[in-house]
Amino acid sequence: MFYTSSNHIRRCLMREVIRLVVVSAVLSSYVAYAQKLPIPQNLPNNLQIHGFASQGWLKSTDNNNVFGKSSSDSGSFDFRELGLNASMRPKPNLQFSAQMISRTAGRGSPGNIRLDYGFIDYAFLSEENSKIGIRLGRMKNPLGFYNDTRDVPFTRPSILLPQSIYFDRVRKVAIAADGVHLYGEYRFDHGVLSFQGGPVRPLVRGAEAEVALLGRGGAGHLAPDISYIGRISYELDEGRLRFAFSGTDLNIDYDPASGDRLGAGSIRFTPLIFSAQYNAERWSFTSEYALRHFEYKNFGVAALNQDFFGESYYLQGVYRITPEWEALARYDVLYTDSDDRSGKKWAAATGGAPHRRFAKDITVGLRWNVTPEFMLRAEYHRVNGTGWLSTLDNPNSGDLSPHWNLFSILGSYRF
Amino acid sequence: MSTGQIKKLVIIKIKISHLISAICLLLGLLFVAGKTWAVEPYEIVTNSGVSEKTLSKNALRAIFGMRLHTWSDGSPIHVFVLPDEAPLHITFSKEKLNVFPYQLRAAWDRLVFSGTGQAPETVASPEEMLAKVGSTPGAIGYLTRSRMDGSVNVLHVK
Repeated sequence: MFYTSSNHIRRCLMREVIRLVVVSAVLSSYVAYAQKLPIPQNLPNNLQIHGFASQGWLKSTDNNNVFGKSSSDSGSFDFRELGLNASMRPKPNLQFSAQMISRTAGRGSPGNIRLDYGFIDYAFLSEENSKIGIRLGRMKNPLGFYNDTRDVPFTRPSILLPQSIYFDRVRKVAIAADGVHLYGEYRFDHGVLSFQGGPVRPLVRGAEAEVALLGRGGAGHLAPDISYIGRISYELDEGRLRFAFSGTDLNIDYDPASGDRLGAGSIRFTPLIFSAQYNAERWSFTSEYALRHFEYKNFGVAALNQDFFGESYYLQGVYRITPEWEALARYDVLYTDSDDRSGKKWAAATGGAPHRRFAKDITVGLRWNVTPEFMLRAEYHRVNGTGWLSTLDNPNSGDLSPHWNLFSILGSYRF
Repeated sequence: MSTGQIKKLVIIKIKISHLISAICLLLGLLFVAGKTWAVEPYEIVTNSGVSEKTLSKNALRAIFGMRLHTWSDGSPIHVFVLPDEAPLHITFSKEKLNVFPYQLRAAWDRLVFSGTGQAPETVASPEEMLAKVGSTPGAIGYLTRSRMDGSVNVLHVK
C-alpha cells in the first residue's frame, strides 16, 4: 500500500515533468521558428523586438494553493508568462518603448493580454558623465531590485520572487503606474548614482487588488488617487556593489456602491525598501528590507479602519557553479503587522488563523541555462505561515496548514 | 494513519530525496574548476568615421552598459558584442570594464524588459564583428589584433 502510493506519486511527478518539458519545447521551437522568419537585420530607427515565454508547474502540500490547484495530486500548470516588447530609438536621446504581457497565475491573473508598459523617454541632458531625462506614459514602478522586470523569468533569481516583498497577490498595484518620471544619473570614478521617480496614478481596478486590499470587501470599487514613487541607486564599481532605496506613497480611494456596508474610505500605502547586493565572479549576495505602512481610513467598519506597519526581509545567496548552472538559497520573512508578529492579536480580534499574518520561507533552487535563450529551473520552498498565500486561490482560509512545502519547475525561452 | 497522511509523508520523503540529490549534484559541480582562456592581444575598435581616439574608463563602461548613447560630437553610438560565452567577450568585460559577463547581461535585461534602454547588437563571430564595426557609422566593438584591418580605428582607454 505504501509502495503503491509512492509509485503513484512518482508516476504523477514524471508525467508532469514530461508534460512540462514537452510544453516548453513546443513553445520554444515555435518562438525559434518565428525568429527565423525573414526579419530585416538593419531595422529602421534602431527598432528592437524582444520577448519571452515561460511555463511553470507547481506542487504543494496540504491544501495550500499557489497559482491554481497546486495542492492537487497532479499539481498546477496554471503558471504561464508571455511577453513581447518593442523599442525604437529614432534619435540618441529619444526612445519609445512598449511591452504587452499575458500572465496566467491562478485566479488572480487569468492570462488576459495587457499593456505592461508604454512610454516616451526623452533625455534633455546627456553628457559623458551625466544624464537627465523625462518619461511619460505607463512605466514599471521602480521598487527594489526586481520589480521593474518581475514577470521576466530570466531576470528573477528564482521561480517565485521573495514573496515578502514582491507579493504576487497584490502585484497589479505594485507593478506599473501611469504618470511622469524624471530620471538622471551621474557617473564618477568609483560608481554611478542614479534616480528615477515622479507622480503617478496607480492601477487598482480589478478583483485581485480589491480582494487583496479589502478582503471580501464591499460592492463598490477602488479608484486611483495621485501617488508618488521613486528610487535612488548607487552602484559601486559597475555593479560589484549595488545599493538602492525606493519607496512609494500610494493613495487609493474607495467608491462605495449604493447600500454598501463600507463607507467612502481611503487607503494609503507607503512602503520603503532598502536593497543591497554584492556581485563576485561566482557569488552574488542580495538582501532587501521593507517597512510597509498601511493606513485605512473612513471605511465606517472598525475592523477595516487600521493603521499598521508590515515588515519584510530576505537574505539570498546565488552561486554560479559553471556558466550554465546556478544554485540559490534564500531565507525570506514576512510580518503583516510588525506589532503582532505571531498574528495572535489579529486572530483574537478577527477569529482568523494567526498563520495568515506571517510567513517564513526557506528556498533552495537550481537554474540550468540549457542555451543562452532557454532556461530550466527547479526549486523547493519550506514555509512556516501562510501570510502571502492568495485569498483567491485559497478561498477557505480554515483549510490552510501553517507548515507546508512547495516544489516548482519552470522552463523559459527568450529572444 | 490515513491514506492522506501517508501520501503527505511520501511526498515529503520524495522532496527530501530530491533535495539531497540536488545538493550532491551541486557539491560535485563545485569542483569543476572555472576555465580561464588565454586570449590573443586585442583592441577596442570603432568605425573609421568615429573621431574619438581616447576615452575614459567611465565612458567606456557607460557605453557598454548601454547608458551613454552619443559620441562627443552628438552622433549616435552603435555597440557590438560577441556572445556572452565567447572567450574574447569574457576577457574584454573583465579587463576593460571590470565586470563579469553575467552582470552585463543582467544590466541589459533590466533595460530591455523595463523599456528604459536597449541591448547591444550581438555578432556571432570576429569576422562579423569586423564587418559590422567597419560598415556601421558610430560603431564600437573589440577585436584581436590579427583580425583587424583598415576599416576600423583603435580606441585607447585613458
